[in-house]
Amino acid sequence: MNVTEYIASGILESYVMGAVSDQERREVECLSSIYPEVGRELDLLSEAIEQYAMLHSVEPPASIKDKLLQQLDFTSHEEADEEQESDTIVRPMPVDMSASNSHRTTWIVAACMGLAMLLFSFFLLSQLRTNQNALASVRTRNDSLKTVAGKLKADQAQSDQVVALLSQPALKRIELKGNEQAPEGNLSVFWSADTQQVAVNVKSLPALPADKQYQLWALVDGKPVDAGVFDVNGSATQSLNRSIARADAFAVTVEKRGGSPAPTMSTLLAVSPVKA
Amino acid sequence: MKRQSSLVSESVLIEKLIQRDQQAFQWLYDQYSPALYGVVLRIVRDDEQAADLLQDIFIKIWKNLDAYDATKGRLFTWMLNVARNTAIDSLRARKTQPFAEIRTDAETVHIVDQEHNTEQPKPEHIGLKDVVNQLRPERKELIDLVYFGGYTHEEAAEKLNLPLGTVKTRVRAALQELKQLFR
Repeated sequence: MNVTEYIASGILESYVMGAVSDQERREVECLSSIYPEVGRELDLLSEAIEQYAMLHSVEPPASIKDKLLQQLDFTSHEEADEEQESDTIVRPMPVDMSASNSHRTTWIVAACMGLAMLLFSFFLLSQLRTNQNALASVRTRNDSLKTVAGKLKADQAQSDQVVALLSQPALKRIELKGNEQAPEGNLSVFWSADTQQVAVNVKSLPALPADKQYQLWALVDGKPVDAGVFDVNGSATQSLNRSIARADAFAVTVEKRGGSPAPTMSTLLAVSPVKA
Repeated sequence: MKRQSSLVSESVLIEKLIQRDQQAFQWLYDQYSPALYGVVLRIVRDDEQAADLLQDIFIKIWKNLDAYDATKGRLFTWMLNVARNTAIDSLRARKTQPFAEIRTDAETVHIVDQEHNTEQPKPEHIGLKDVVNQLRPERKELIDLVYFGGYTHEEAAEKLNLPLGTVKTRVRAALQELKQLFR
């Protein structure tokens, strides 16, 4: 992901203004925790909107605070009070200095050492907890980076394939426009008769339910030949996993996920001939 | 107007709040209620309704403190979002028309300045007037529509009769300008 471009896209500004969808919100929260630059920019923008909100400060009616103090549950302060009371009771005891001085010193030293050890073990315990937490968060982050890396790798392989296909001299580009079922529909099909490869680039197609996919058909002598299925997958060019040696035209239908052996004519969305 | 509470003291505050400490709550209320009330008032434009909402908002904040995640943002930002969402939801539920009468900047400045008269002046304080004077009017209008009106980009585009792209660019420019102003 290009962090600079992401920051410049304006999504962070929309996020702090509260004008993003739930999905965008999750994306911003995830990316700002992974990329420090995104997090920093988000922080600056949040601060700006905080300051802007601060400027609109108006003192609320005093009654609200009283009502809230009555209405909310607070921890009782009895424990703290008890402690204070016992504190006030403590008074220096009359001590027979000559008789128990050495005993007293021994006790004080022992008590101090005990206390020191207790404190030290608390310290160690807290260090251990901190380290465990840090380890857990590093693991989580590592996992999420692994996922990102895996996805990038897959994207890269896909892109390489597409670049190889697009750089062929005999490549044909067929523009398909949606019919009345998908008036906004618009996609390009890339086909090379030499290597028999075919790819699609969706510019705009309606989103489908999870159990449906778009299927591309090559029409050869009036007969439809399966040319592979594809999803509406951002703006990436998708290479399809079928070999097409001949095609007079290409068509798109909506089929069940995984594709159908024959096209469902009622869901035909677009068709366009291959120019010689 | 830099916030005094550093990150460390904020985490201490949150810990105390989660322990339901009354003093921590009072501090939180004193510190942030004017800002939250101001935002709510700006959204619903009705003193009585805003006061009721402010009470609901602090109850919500109190009940949902456990859900606040410091890694996802600052405490005040979170509180502002709670306040803003509550006010906008109530506005939508009442189906009143928030922008039947948009106050002009000059009016807002006047009202806010009046309401600020009781506070002691802070030397480093940037006034609303300064910001309004520096922000371009079309950018300020957009911030107010989206932030205080709860308009989506699409709704704002329709309302202002502008292309969606222009709205998005302006929102970004406005926030960047604010960011610079408060640096």
